Amino acid sequence: MALSKEHLLKVYEDMLLIRRFEEEVEVYAKNGTIPGFIHLSIGQEAAQAGVVDVLKDTDYKFPDHRGHGAIVLSSKPEERKRCMSEIFAKATGINGGRGGSMHVHDLSVRNMGFNGIQGSTVVTALGTAFNSVYRKNDDVTVVFMGDGTLGEGTCHESLNMSATWKLPLVYVLINNQYAISTHYTEAHPQKQLSTWGLGYEVPSMTIDGNDIEEVIEVTQQAVDRARRGEGPTLIEMMSYRWQGHFSGDPAAYRPDGELEAWKEKDPLKLAKEKLQEKHGVSDAEIQAISDRVEVEIAEYVKFSLESPVPKPEDAVKYVYTDREVEGR
Amino acid sequence: MARIISFSKALNEAMTQEMERDENVFILGEDVAKMGGDFGITTGIWERWPNRAFDTALSESAITGLCCGASVCGLRPVAELMFADFITVCYDQLVNNAAKLNYMYQGEASAQMVVRAVTGGGIRCAYHHSQCIEPWLMNIPGLVIVAPATPYEAKGLLVASIRNNNPVVFLEHKHLYNVKGEVPEELYEIPLYEAHVEREGTDITIVAAMSMLKFAQKAADEMAAKGISVEIINPRTIFPLDKETIKESVAKTGRLIVVQEGPKVMGYGAEIGAMLGEELFEYLKAPIKRVTSLDTPVPFAPGMEDYVLPHYEDVITACNEVMAY
Ligand SMILES: Cc1ncc(C[n+]2csc(CCOP(=O)(O)OP(=O)(O)O)c2C)c(N)n1
Ligand SMILES: [Mg+2]
Repeated sequence: MALSKEHLLKVYEDMLLIRRFEEEVEVYAKNGTIPGFIHLSIGQEAAQAGVVDVLKDTDYKFPDHRGHGAIVLSSKPEERKRCMSEIFAKATGINGGRGGSMHVHDLSVRNMGFNGIQGSTVVTALGTAFNSVYRKNDDVTVVFMGDGTLGEGTCHESLNMSATWKLPLVYVLINNQYAISTHYTEAHPQKQLSTWGLGYEVPSMTIDGNDIEEVIEVTQQAVDRARRGEGPTLIEMMSYRWQGHFSGDPAAYRPDGELEAWKEKDPLKLAKEKLQEKHGVSDAEIQAISDRVEVEIAEYVKFSLESPVPKPEDAVKYVYTDREVEGR
Repeated sequence: MARIISFSKALNEAMTQEMERDENVFILGEDVAKMGGDFGITTGIWERWPNRAFDTALSESAITGLCCGASVCGLRPVAELMFADFITVCYDQLVNNAAKLNYMYQGEASAQMVVRAVTGGGIRCAYHHSQCIEPWLMNIPGLVIVAPATPYEAKGLLVASIRNNNPVVFLEHKHLYNVKGEVPEELYEIPLYEAHVEREGTDITIVAAMSMLKFAQKAADEMAAKGISVEIINPRTIFPLDKETIKESVAKTGRLIVVQEGPKVMGYGAEIGAMLGEELFEYLKAPIKRVTSLDTPVPFAPGMEDYVLPHYEDVITACNEVMAY
């Protein structure tokens, strides 16, 4: 399905925003401003932007550990800088600095956040999907997961239960080839991981996760099916992470030339070519998008750098709902 | 002059030398083979023994379950849990399988396996990659929890754990990996279930494991300058605990401080405190003190995390309090 020019322009801008977001995060992770470790999703923009584009604010979203893009795009534009300041461990962060890169959630748009234990959200998502059935509404749940995460037993349990109960759940399996150093073909016997759904009679397909039009089309079908109460879908989106597993991983396990070959399939490059060749979008229009994104990102970075750090004493808040834990 | 190597290298050497000695030993886990482990601890093993080092899928239940099954067949698996926090995902295999196999088979076979688990906070990675998990496992009779504090112990205790016929959860504190110390080149075992008196003293006993040992050592120096003599006990095996060494020490000093990185509730500090209250009540000259984290999850922001984790100054305060009592 070809997108309209306006639609393609919109998602191109979304993708550029999250690409630039990640590039800035990388700069500040490398220079030590951002503590801890960071999993960057550069190269996987189409899978994130395309899926979020299809969803409503009331749909439940479970990004994964490589999910900054889905997180940012799920948030309202005015809240996006707080996604970045969370990663910077700042008090203005969307979770007050408690969580950081792996734990950015925003309940106002039903971004339910990630759990540092791989495979955990895959079963949590059963609960939000169940809620839609129980309350008879049409909210859909989307859970992002990686090729490696599929190894967790919870993935089987989740597919089995969602299929049996026809839960409105879409599994977005971003196959970026690797789980840390382990290629997916060394951890699973199948050539395509979408076959995992078939044993549970879950409609499953493998698509080009770098082609935003294909991502949107297939996700839309899966979401529509879920909204109609027909049950879950598993979409394997083939993609590639350009960086190592975490920022700073030299990724020595990749064969020579692999990254360069995937860079040829850059989702942004593909979308830009379509815009220019099929829709006659001018260089000036493309430049205007870049300029807007730069202004936006510069604001996030400035906000993140200037925000205060959280009060250490606040660490004892929110351990229980109805009482505080003793501080120092 | 003895050889100086890092804690990481000492662990690597323990595995390598045990693999040379006993072909039943093999390693498995996520990224442990080709990449040599997320923290580089198994570097070089796969290159030497490509058929005895296995990269697995992200499947901690399968990894520990496989260890249980392989070990009852006489193999000696050494698995790596990239972060100890992930033990929850294979908790059933450890608690209801590994820990019970010897009991179930009445001694005819047991889970002679080691699960190396990377533990502890201070690396700004928030609540799912920073926890001290020993309390989660401390009331599971049948399991052994080993906790080295120095490179020398890392090698000797890992060798002993591999040779031990019980399931061992071997805790490796992230902050110790780069610590260097004297480690003999030859194979040696440090016995499990035995605490080590790190330093003798007469006024206060401090029990401290893993990364907390350095707090105890620094505090002992600081107190010595004030004329107070601190005895330091490093449990080495956290469960089952060497009660005798701790009791002997406290019978002498009459004062106990336990320094533990995890939350206060139900850690080894709680167990040692209860044990002394029960068995050594009349020897105590002051209340028992625990220096621990706050009872919260480990937060991400550096200032918050530092606030939550144990503070060195609290060890000194505790020393002063027990002396002043
Ligand atoms: C239960 C559990 N096991 C292991 C890890 C460590 N870990 C974090 S991400 C990761 C690889 C995940 O690979 P994949 O699902 O393919 O996602 P990708 O990183 O490629 O985006 C591993 C092993 C974890 N966080 N939780
Ligand atoms: Mg992957």
